[in-house]
Amino acid sequence: MTGRQLTLAVIAGLIALFALPLVIDNDYVMAVGISFAAMSVLAGGLNLIYGYTGLLSFAQVGFFGIGGYTATLLVVDRGWSLWAGVAVGGVLCIAVALLIGYSSLRLSRHAFAIVSLSFALLCAIVARDWPELTRGSMGIPGLPTPVMDLPGGLRWRIVDPSDFYYLLMGFAVIAHGAIYLVVTSRLGRAMRAIKLNEPLAQSQGVNPLSYRLLALSLSALLAGIVGGLFVFYLTIIDPSIFDFYYTETMLISVVIGGPGSFWGVMASSAVLAVLPDMLRFTTDLRMVLYGVALIVAMLIFPGGVGGWLYRRQVTRWRRPKPKAPVP
Amino acid sequence: MDWSFFAQLLLNGLVMGVIYALVAMGLSLIFGVLEIVNFAHGEFYMLASMLAYFLTAQWGFDYWATILVVTVVGVAVGYVLFEGLLLALRGETFERSILLTMGLSMVLQNGAVFLFTTNPHLLESKLSYQNIVVGDFRMPVARLYALGLGFAAFAVLYLILNHTRIGKAMRGVAQNRAAADMVGIDARAVSRLAVAIGIGLTGLAGAALAPVYAVHPLMGFNFVFKAFAIIIIGGLGNISGAAIAAVMLGVIESLAGGLLPLALTDAVAFLSMIAVLLLRPQGLFGRGVRV
Repeated sequence: MTGRQLTLAVIAGLIALFALPLVIDNDYVMAVGISFAAMSVLAGGLNLIYGYTGLLSFAQVGFFGIGGYTATLLVVDRGWSLWAGVAVGGVLCIAVALLIGYSSLRLSRHAFAIVSLSFALLCAIVARDWPELTRGSMGIPGLPTPVMDLPGGLRWRIVDPSDFYYLLMGFAVIAHGAIYLVVTSRLGRAMRAIKLNEPLAQSQGVNPLSYRLLALSLSALLAGIVGGLFVFYLTIIDPSIFDFYYTETMLISVVIGGPGSFWGVMASSAVLAVLPDMLRFTTDLRMVLYGVALIVAMLIFPGGVGGWLYRRQVTRWRRPKPKAPVP
Repeated sequence: MDWSFFAQLLLNGLVMGVIYALVAMGLSLIFGVLEIVNFAHGEFYMLASMLAYFLTAQWGFDYWATILVVTVVGVAVGYVLFEGLLLALRGETFERSILLTMGLSMVLQNGAVFLFTTNPHLLESKLSYQNIVVGDFRMPVARLYALGLGFAAFAVLYLILNHTRIGKAMRGVAQNRAAADMVGIDARAVSRLAVAIGIGLTGLAGAALAPVYAVHPLMGFNFVFKAFAIIIIGGLGNISGAAIAAVMLGVIESLAGGLLPLALTDAVAFLSMIAVLLLRPQGLFGRGVRV
């Protein structure tokens, strides 16, 4: 696809996404759309960390939940507006990301993977066992309706699923736009270089630590914000916001879509948002199927769909051009 | 605080620490030799406990037979795991190994939930109600046996690693893979044995703890998270470091559990890990690394 075609396709896709609630005003379709918006931002952030800088992170779900809890507690206990709460949640996530990233990446990316995993599990445990702050496993139900002051004195009360659809889809577009800008810029090239060959990248004056911390902070910020918005759609937050299920779904999106492939991960997020309902007949075995998919992907095509398409394209480029007939 | 409460906490912590050590040493051994993080390690611990439960409760095996059978099954599963899955990973394997074993963990954990539901099973045997009582101080026999088994396993592993040819080969591969290849060590055989021993140790841990705590399909998950923290604290790939860190963590957690609020007790493992990473990145017992 050429750049022009891509631009047109993106514009058409955006129009379709934003016109959807006008055409089909169906709560179920809205719910699928909202879940796609939220999960695709999480998966896109993970793709930025894992697909571009080569760090396997389990911390995304931790940022998602921290964003959710921070926004909730600031709104419910302190009476802040949702937007201020979400912003503080996002900033807090960056601080936590820098702490775990800096402490573990000095050692190795192996240590980072393990620390990020422990961090995510710790979040779940603390949310459950610190009832003075988080109300424990009962969670905090009945979150208030967010209100946005629009220019011109209008107030947008975000009540219906279609309101939340616009809110989360709007944020998802901004988030993916930010990720796209990063991965297509000089920053993205440096990140790819670090993933492909860290010592070589270092020898060219690229400091892996700062690029990795940048990728980590950006994805933590986006995950934190999306967490803050998403819990107000659910109207309840409890420790299951840190459920490992989210991590597994995110990783499947990235691995099947193709680590390092922006559009591949986007497409697989969309499929995974719709798929659970197609698999409804096997609710109990769904995660078993996901696990099998992960094993098969790792054994047979670790590059995912994106990697496969890329390899095919490279083979086509390398094929010698047919020689002009000798006169 | 009276001494018997303190001693009780100390002993419980020691038992827990020894079990952590069995799981973490297996994880560390596999990481050291293969550079693979076995994400499904906790599920093998869970399956071992489940198997121990069924052997004892359904088929009437006695304690020692159960321990033996589960450990042997663990070793066999380790062989199959290596030959069937891990062997297919070559080259730059670290992230792929995590994702592969995570897929395996999802299959095993959710499969176990599907088959056995999440209801906890309590393994009741003659051992469950036997205690050794000294004054105010009570010690369930099952815990003492777990402690003894743990130390016996340490000793056997120590002997294998330090006084056999294959153990020496294993340490060689862990220290420098390329050099080990050059002097003709069969990396595949060594790796296979490392995985088999690692899973065998986990099986032993699961079987030894089955009579102490309730058995359920989600038990492996919370457990392995501690084991990951332990191998960082002890130094990645450092087996004796992992053992010492595990025992320390078990004792500290137990004491903290008696004295501090619950949330802090759970955070002990994580906070120690972060502190170690910041102050001594090579782990408490590691040789120096470049940071």
